[in-house]
Amino acid sequence: MVKQMLEHIKAELPDIHVAEASYPERGYHLALEAGKDNLLKVVKSFYERGLCLEDLFCVDYGDYLELVYFFNAYTGLSRIKTTVKLEPDKPSVPTISEIYPIAHWYEREVHEFYGVYFENHPNLTYLFLHDGIDCYPLRKNRVPVSEDDKQLLTFHDPAPEEDTFSINLGPQHPSTHGVLRVILKMDGEYILSADPVLGYLHRMHEKMAENRSYTQFLPNPSRMDYLSGLNFNLAHVAAVERLCGIAVPERAQYIRTISCELNRISSHIFWMGAFLGDLGGLTPFLYGFDDRENILDILEGITGSMITYCYFRFGGLYNDVDDRFIDATRAFVARMWKRLPMYEKLVTKNVIFINRAKGVGILERDKVRGFGCSGPVIRGTGIPFDMRKIEPYAAYGDMDFDVVTGENGDTMDRYLVRMKEIETSLRIISSAIDKLPSGPFNAEKVPKKLKPPKGDAYHVVESPRGQLGVYIVSDESDRPYRMRWRVPSYSNLMTFPYLSKGMLIADAIAILGSLDLIIPEIDR
Amino acid sequence: MIDQIINIIGMLNIRIILGLGGVLTLVTISTLILTWAERKVAGHMQLRIAPKEVGPFGLIQPVADAIKLIGKELLTPRDVEKPLYLLGPILIFVPVLISFVVIPFDAGLQVMDINVGILVILAFSSLTVLSILISGWGSNNKYSLIGSVRSVAQNIAYEIPLLLSILAVVFMSNSFSMKEIAEAQKGILHWYVFRQPLAFLIFFIACVAETNRTPFDLPEGESELVAGFHTEYSGMRFALFFLAEYTNLVIVSAVATTLFLGGYDGPVLPGIIWFFAKTYFLVFVIMWFRWTFPRVRFDQLLNFSWKILMPLSFFNLIATGALLKLI
Repeated sequence: MVKQMLEHIKAELPDIHVAEASYPERGYHLALEAGKDNLLKVVKSFYERGLCLEDLFCVDYGDYLELVYFFNAYTGLSRIKTTVKLEPDKPSVPTISEIYPIAHWYEREVHEFYGVYFENHPNLTYLFLHDGIDCYPLRKNRVPVSEDDKQLLTFHDPAPEEDTFSINLGPQHPSTHGVLRVILKMDGEYILSADPVLGYLHRMHEKMAENRSYTQFLPNPSRMDYLSGLNFNLAHVAAVERLCGIAVPERAQYIRTISCELNRISSHIFWMGAFLGDLGGLTPFLYGFDDRENILDILEGITGSMITYCYFRFGGLYNDVDDRFIDATRAFVARMWKRLPMYEKLVTKNVIFINRAKGVGILERDKVRGFGCSGPVIRGTGIPFDMRKIEPYAAYGDMDFDVVTGENGDTMDRYLVRMKEIETSLRIISSAIDKLPSGPFNAEKVPKKLKPPKGDAYHVVESPRGQLGVYIVSDESDRPYRMRWRVPSYSNLMTFPYLSKGMLIADAIAILGSLDLIIPEIDR
Repeated sequence: MIDQIINIIGMLNIRIILGLGGVLTLVTISTLILTWAERKVAGHMQLRIAPKEVGPFGLIQPVADAIKLIGKELLTPRDVEKPLYLLGPILIFVPVLISFVVIPFDAGLQVMDINVGILVILAFSSLTVLSILISGWGSNNKYSLIGSVRSVAQNIAYEIPLLLSILAVVFMSNSFSMKEIAEAQKGILHWYVFRQPLAFLIFFIACVAETNRTPFDLPEGESELVAGFHTEYSGMRFALFFLAEYTNLVIVSAVATTLFLGGYDGPVLPGIIWFFAKTYFLVFVIMWFRWTFPRVRFDQLLNFSWKILMPLSFFNLIATGALLKLI
């Protein structure tokens, strides 16, 4: 796949410098340097090849700004890091939001954090910083916001039109699960357009990371996603390990796998309850809590916390697991297998539920790459895109499991994929516990003060919501030069305006619920 | 002559005033019990314990809630249509009370036997939708407005199958009087639920829809419309809507009991106990629905009424008429 891609690039884009990168060290396969002029050509060619835009962000190297585009193929491994170098003074670059709709938000984000101007962008306004700010926060030197940008960054309320009205879904609304605000333009009960407004929970974790050492940043990631803290914890730890070249002992990898899968089940159960709550059925929520409580107890036993875990360390774990953990996990797996048929009877076979979920919010297979969505949202459309399978991390390479996919990409499929993933996770946990090797749980010779070699590394894990990527640039100091979080809910939410167009408000709520959004993760 | 008329009116008035007083007491007590019962039912269905601290089995909990609600500040948002906003919660309660007047709780225990009793109930229960509409409109809130508009469409759609299914019972009993319908069902085999099962089913579904209970709770669908038509109401004004919802629950169950389950008919025990046992059983079934089903969508709700319930109830009515003529 990588070879094919390389040949394709060399054939179609002869004037572009491309180099192969070592995947185990860097986390991407090809590094490509585009210029401002031929960027659109490169992106168009990638879109036609069926690549998705995983991430778009900027790194400030002082002398120049570097825009980084991560492209990936759904069919196999070929992650391409495309970079564009920009002048630090009044940087501007053509927008790619017409090709990849998800870039619409990524570019707004880069614009407000770095002051990069995207030519022909349809709506280059605030995404996160609604209160306004006097300098670009992620630039290394203090650069005051230009007068032009101050105008651009003002938030405008949409002007009312005849026969329509706008309604604010959130930030305080029972169904937005957190502080998401969506401006809906409505015609009666039908939605004409939906415009999500982010930033109510923006804490700037990426800036925080630059101001503290790798170890000090350990507790932060699980605060981004309060339902799957361990997966976020793992993404950070694994990215740093890749950067430093630390080999993790097998026992630690297995325990990481088990605990992450437990976390995934708890997240999916919680989602199922909340989703049914959105549809008006309140009882499954509490049934789910009953099961989830078991997992929280198990995880509390090893990590010491209930929700915002900080269990993994560079090179291993905080501490080893004991027999009590093994027994409790085995008991939970046995219990959960008995509970799943009950959920099936209560929810999956309910006629009202089927009528509400089937055929609602259909995401076509050829649209997903534009939105860059991942996780159950993309697997619901039938694309087997699962990081655990195609880029195995921790001990997933040793596990035997199938990637669950749906068919139509509607709300029902997203529901079914998640419910089946619970079964997959249960199988992974069982086999991982059976195979659990003995030995050390921490790598030897991990220095107290980590100073990774100069360079960058990217690491993805499969969080319950989808592909979670961490990109770290190191300058040999004990703090990350730049840490970028690619979060799954962000790109999944991007599909909402598309899916909810022309739908009833009740359907829009069902769609919003089925995307499984965690707002603190989107806002970071 | 005139004296006699005044006399009769006077007598009537006293009876009605006394009856209304009695009904008001009954309503308040039954609502208090029902809020407690709903929380208990919900709790046990959801693997929870439900209230148990205030009084034995938590029975005094509703009183504590009521005191809390009375103590709350009555917030009036700035931009509301004040007369309508204030009228809404009051209006919602009046028709509910009047419906109780014609229900026979036991042989001879009825505030008034009107020979068009069913029509009185239907006429007054339709008024509920008016107060939902004006409170939704008066709140000057988009969620409230959507909720109240939904409520109107829903009530109109379900009133027709409701009426048609009742007509089948009227055909059988040859009377519009609640008392006579109840009298016509002496002995369990004569209960109309066994003679008119389809009509009962349609009636019961329509009742759940008319009282805005899950799975038909669209006017106040929490996850969609925050709280629907009563989003902007607080304190005792909210409590009145709450009270009306539970009273409506009792009304529809009482009417269903009278029309289909033989009213106060039953062996050994006194009629009034049978009546309330049946009524509360139906209330329990409606609560059971609420804690089991998700909510239907608005177009599905209307389609179900216009495309399924209505033809079915028409068919049932025609079949009933034809059979009665033949026999």
